[in-house]
Amino acid sequence: MVNIEDLKAEAKRILKGGNVKYIIGYERPSNAWKANPVFARTPEDVDRLVWDPSCIHNLVRFVVDEKRRKAKEKPVDSRPIGVVVKGCDSRGIVVLIQEKFIERMDVFLIGVSCESTGVVDERKLAKKTVGTTVLKVKFGERMNYVVTTEDGILDIPAADIIADRCLECIASFPVVSDHLLGEKSKRDVPKPFQSVEKMESLPTKGKWDFWEDQLRKCVRCYACRSVCPMCYCDECVVDTINFAVTPETTAEEKAQRIKWLEKSPADSENIFYHLVRAIHLAGRCIDCGECERACPVNIPLRMLNKKMEKEAKELFGYDVGFDAEKPALMSCYLDGDPGDFIR
Amino acid sequence: MDKILAKNDFARWLEALASYRLYAPQNKDDVWTYELIESPDSRGLADVMTAVPAKKIVFPQREELFAFEEGDEAGYALSELLPGEKPTVIFGLRPCEAKAVILTDLVFGGEFVDEYYWKRRNAVTFVGLACLKPPSPNCFCLSVNGSPHGTEGLDILLTDLGDTYYVESLTEKGEKLVKAASDLFADPKPDERTRVMRLHGESEKKLRRSLSRIEDVPEKLKGMFDSPFWDAESMSCIRCGICTYLCPTCHCFDINDEVESSSPLQGRRVRTWDTCQFPDFTMHSSGHNPRPDKAARLRQRINHKFQYFVEVWQNYQCTGCGRCITLCPVGIDIINVVEKVRDHAG
Repeated sequence: MVNIEDLKAEAKRILKGGNVKYIIGYERPSNAWKANPVFARTPEDVDRLVWDPSCIHNLVRFVVDEKRRKAKEKPVDSRPIGVVVKGCDSRGIVVLIQEKFIERMDVFLIGVSCESTGVVDERKLAKKTVGTTVLKVKFGERMNYVVTTEDGILDIPAADIIADRCLECIASFPVVSDHLLGEKSKRDVPKPFQSVEKMESLPTKGKWDFWEDQLRKCVRCYACRSVCPMCYCDECVVDTINFAVTPETTAEEKAQRIKWLEKSPADSENIFYHLVRAIHLAGRCIDCGECERACPVNIPLRMLNKKMEKEAKELFGYDVGFDAEKPALMSCYLDGDPGDFIR
Repeated sequence: MDKILAKNDFARWLEALASYRLYAPQNKDDVWTYELIESPDSRGLADVMTAVPAKKIVFPQREELFAFEEGDEAGYALSELLPGEKPTVIFGLRPCEAKAVILTDLVFGGEFVDEYYWKRRNAVTFVGLACLKPPSPNCFCLSVNGSPHGTEGLDILLTDLGDTYYVESLTEKGEKLVKAASDLFADPKPDERTRVMRLHGESEKKLRRSLSRIEDVPEKLKGMFDSPFWDAESMSCIRCGICTYLCPTCHCFDINDEVESSSPLQGRRVRTWDTCQFPDFTMHSSGHNPRPDKAARLRQRINHKFQYFVEVWQNYQCTGCGRCITLCPVGIDIINVVEKVRDHAG
């Protein structure tokens, strides 16, 4: 089990030594069971850190922000930032390094074990706790969660309320870190792609009808893109201004830019947006599930990304985010790569 | 005129309103939204806070303004596209959402009367459902001059009495809905009236969240425009549009031409929801962005709701529905932010 005091001690050690600028971790507000990201700069901040199954967020998203902030910083403070990472999050770090978006020395990673389970799914938990208010969720000892509610303590098997992505997780322990907490656990994942199998069995029309129906719900808040640590482009095709405008950009250049999609939440535009995102995440998505969690209208976005992950695995034997030394899948060609789908 | 409606008769009431488009909260994929009623639920109305507020009906995410077409010689032909006015009823509206409609009325009914908005808005009859228990853990309507049984903006307020609804018609529009099926409605007994008043009173004590001394906030915000406070508070913001798109009072929009044919040029000018939380919202064509970072954008959201709107319309532009808190992917909590503003030393 991860001892939270060990986590705090390490956090204080690196902050005190001035080794890191700040530490991104989790805290729990006094009025909710769910953790929030917190940016710890002082020992008092560190005392608020928590590690429990409500630490859902992929904090690597904020490493992207730090890079942007640093670009404007004067004078530049080039110390690393500390980040608390789960297995999936650590794979995100690997991808960012592979893609040369960050360097390994930009981050000090405090790795935490998911205790043979994973994080909870908010909607599943809500269904299990109708009529009461959840105050706290803790890891249990036997693949279970201990849920404290206003009306007493519930012992819920992990399988009942665990996040879907954790059911298919192939790295419930950090793959890269500077300080590791908790025991390395190996979990059997007999069906790492079970979430896409049902969809794959549908006829083409069935797939189309399903996705048309789902993507029609999209309100284009772009939370799925915004929460994704891999969606770090400064210029995104879905924005109305999808290129960097500078004082030197001429009116003609601006006028001639292609508008790839309209802001209207029409079916064609919604589908275009989500397909663009899915394709751009092929061989890059580490299945942290943040897109699906953030979606306010519950579109099963993970399924799109999981399908891409499966393609990468089946066509190229590529597992995303395990080896920072390896070139990224979509930016290299190897002699042994299959080519029979190129016609 | 107050009435009693048996829940068993609710479906028959809806049948009597066949000439209207009828909306009510419905669940799809574990998410509640206002959808057209296809078959009435025999259990009556869902006592919930939808994810997407009812503003999508009076202020749809996409509104066509006019069509344009390139003519042979005469230049462009423009044709006005005004929304149809099919009468609509929204059932199960929370009092905070009805109040949000009143606030949006101010914006679209000020110096410039927005015909598109009013065509839709005037066609709607709002049938609210009193919140006898808060439909969200983050409800705080009482702190922003609202009430779980508030009637502002509503045409009818329903109160759930178990097997029946206590029906308060508040306007002529509301009265008309009741008259459409008057045989279904009975006169309330005196004790039913007393019970409703008691339930309303109790409902005010059940809210889990509050925001006190909010009246100090507008003045405080004036002095905090350049404060580093906004940097610290916005650190975890991911710059998505959830807090504003799903806010019942946020009403900002963008206008674009959607081209359907380039030769001859044909298309429509449309307005769509937009939000101050997107980086391109304030981007100038010069490349300068006066709100360059998420600190400036969080500040804008708070300032608009608790300073600018108060200055212009003498109302907070927040009705305490708690959606932005519940749905924020990173837990940014407008109550906490505003409390910190209130208690800020500077």
